[in-house]
Amino acid sequence: MTLQTSPRPDAPAAKPRAGLPRWVSTLAPVWTLVALFVFFGLASPSFLRPQNVNNILVQVSTLAIFGTGMTFVLLTGEIDLGISSTASIAGMVAAYLFATLKLQEPIPLIAGLLVGTLLGLFSGIICTRFRIPTFMGTLAISFIGSGLTTYVSKGRTVTTLPEYAKFLGSGRIFTDEAGKGGFPFIVIVAAICLFIAYVVLRYTRFGRYVYMTGASKSAARLAGVNTNMILVAVLTISGFTAGMAGIVGMGRLGSAQPDPVPSYLLDTISAVVLGGTALTGGRGGILQTVIGLLIYGTLRNGLDNIPGIDIYLKEFITGMVLVVALVVNVLFAGRAARDKTV
Amino acid sequence: MGVSLALELKHISKRFENIQALDGVDFDLRQGEIHALVGENGAGKSTMMRILAGIYTDYEGEYILNGKQVHLQSPRDALSRGIGMIHQELSVMPELSVAENLFLGRQLTNPFGLLDWRKMNRIAQEELAKIGFEHINVRDPMGNYSLGTQQVVEVLRVILSGAKVLIMDEPTTALSPPEVERLIQLIDVLRQSNRSIIYISHFLDEVMHVSDRITVLRDGHKVTTLEKKATNLDSIISLILGREINAELPEVTAQKDGHTLLEVRDLTADVFNDINLKVEQGEVVGLYGAIGAGHFDLARAIFGMYRYDSGTVQMENKPFPRGFSARYAIENGLAYATESRRKSLFMEEAIYRNVMIPHLQQLGRILAPSASYELETALPQIALTGVHPADPFNPVGQLSGGNQQKVAIARWLPFPPKVFMMAEPTRGMDVGAKSEVLTILRNFRNEGYGVLVISSEPETVLTVADRIVVMSHGHIVAELENKNIDKDALLRLL
Repeated sequence: MTLQTSPRPDAPAAKPRAGLPRWVSTLAPVWTLVALFVFFGLASPSFLRPQNVNNILVQVSTLAIFGTGMTFVLLTGEIDLGISSTASIAGMVAAYLFATLKLQEPIPLIAGLLVGTLLGLFSGIICTRFRIPTFMGTLAISFIGSGLTTYVSKGRTVTTLPEYAKFLGSGRIFTDEAGKGGFPFIVIVAAICLFIAYVVLRYTRFGRYVYMTGASKSAARLAGVNTNMILVAVLTISGFTAGMAGIVGMGRLGSAQPDPVPSYLLDTISAVVLGGTALTGGRGGILQTVIGLLIYGTLRNGLDNIPGIDIYLKEFITGMVLVVALVVNVLFAGRAARDKTV
Repeated sequence: MGVSLALELKHISKRFENIQALDGVDFDLRQGEIHALVGENGAGKSTMMRILAGIYTDYEGEYILNGKQVHLQSPRDALSRGIGMIHQELSVMPELSVAENLFLGRQLTNPFGLLDWRKMNRIAQEELAKIGFEHINVRDPMGNYSLGTQQVVEVLRVILSGAKVLIMDEPTTALSPPEVERLIQLIDVLRQSNRSIIYISHFLDEVMHVSDRITVLRDGHKVTTLEKKATNLDSIISLILGREINAELPEVTAQKDGHTLLEVRDLTADVFNDINLKVEQGEVVGLYGAIGAGHFDLARAIFGMYRYDSGTVQMENKPFPRGFSARYAIENGLAYATESRRKSLFMEEAIYRNVMIPHLQQLGRILAPSASYELETALPQIALTGVHPADPFNPVGQLSGGNQQKVAIARWLPFPPKVFMMAEPTRGMDVGAKSEVLTILRNFRNEGYGVLVISSEPETVLTVADRIVVMSHGHIVAELENKNIDKDALLRLL
């Protein structure tokens, strides 16, 4: 048994990876973002204006709140398909309690958040207790959520919204005397969510367990991690953030809709995955999600800003760029992974 | 000789990077013969069988099938020429019906090109009846039947696919004694229909019972081929080991009067029965059995990761509650490294992270320890176990097998357990790494821990254990003091 060791020798064992150095491959999403920014900056005169950058941030804020919870879920290697329905029922409950039952603020908001959290908890318990894949379990939850929304709203759009929700969604702070300018509050809400999640994932034991569960469920269990509990927890978190996003999103749009916004779900998953968080779990994190959100927001907004682009082609172009970005991610990540297994 | 040969291997050699797995082996299989292939782990049995079944396609030497030289390209190619293989791990689909399993990959169709289930079910039922298994309902899901029955269906499936030669790799390891008996009857039926079988097994009494001829391999060489009638169990064992054997069975131990740490009482689950086991302070207990004997699942059950039906697990007279978790086992002084390093370590994570992950619970309720604290705690253990290279930031996946195993040990040391359980501590290691790991385990014992080594390699338990418990088909069949025991004694007990 030897006792000689230095904390950080010149890593003789780290085999040189074939091809690209580490900083290129792990930062692939950042390069994608930079490339998009440069491209749109050159192609559109209005893209880089502060007002437009501000717009991008506002546009991705709702997704960012969704994405916070989704990052937890994807890190464990699971998925939550219920978020857009959860968001809509949370928003609708808050609006209903405020507009119809005239409950005092902030009770409607708290109730909305509670509904979202409970739906997440419920799907977590169902999936672990009965060993239902989260893909199926949360899909069922999504029907429950949208069904409840339709029922509560009786198919009507509610436009009388809690003031708190309106402020969270479309309020501004640091405005001038005339009430103009300032900074959108929704961006701050999103930033707080992301920051808390960042701290939890990086510095707490729970965060560590989330990664370990995603990296290898069997190894995590052998190390004494209650992986079922972790799964319930991440789905609950995702339910909470979905509820939050629902309320904030409702405040931004100015109405509670009787139907969920289906694109929320796929937009969120695309953004998180674009940042480099693996669907298979164990790799990624909040910083990656932030990058992914910015890529997504830049792409969507940038296409709007290029003059003369056929609006009927926008969706198609978005799709093509996403394909390229994902392929780039996978090529880089895949190369790293292959090096390890060989 | 007048006997026609089903197949023949002439001077077959196969080399892996630095191991000569087979070296100029000759082998022949007669029509309607059951030819057993025996030898220790690593003697070359599986390599030879994989060449025969078309899994390994690059080898030297000649492969002659029905008098013509062939070079099989794939298992599918092998099957189309009448050579089928029954793998140790069954490949039945438990969700599909028996008939669906029997016709997997070659379903019958009616004139419209649609699957003809009626016909398949009928033929399946008829074929099963022919070999004496008419009580199986072919419409039931395969998973409803026991492993033994599944084995039979698998054999029949390969036969129905047109196999004239059947390679059976350790077909009985997971079976109960009556199931073994039934399988042997089935093999007899097959012999009578002039099919040839290559039978690979660790169970030598089974081999003596079922086979016509026996070929012994050792270290990649063929030792000899014998007519069963012209030999006996003792001479086969000495041929396998390459030396004369000590024919006496070692004495069963008297119970030690030490301080008992881990105790298992009447533990019963689907794959093991009435297990009683003790690990005392300062001893290494070796739990030995052939693959499939149930000893790995027993270890999992002791660690709260395999559901058992009855019995108790207790530590220092404190019984564990029913359905206890791995977390509970860890908190009560158990540590466990499984036989699969890939499943117990985080391959992409740094060494020090792997070392610290089981201990986060003790290190604070909410916050994870800082990286510098983790390094400080993990480094001495990494050094103590001699992980090489010792760079704590290296992902575990980049280490050699032996060094991964050392990490698997080191990870329990920051908060040492009372009893350390380790399955296959030396699997796939070179001699140097083996002895290092075994030395570490012995040192644990000297420091007063209990150690339970679970293995299917006789050398491992013989080298490291003070006491050896032998399991076979889910039962403990012997308990021996490790004094003057020979490997042949262990092999005989299986």
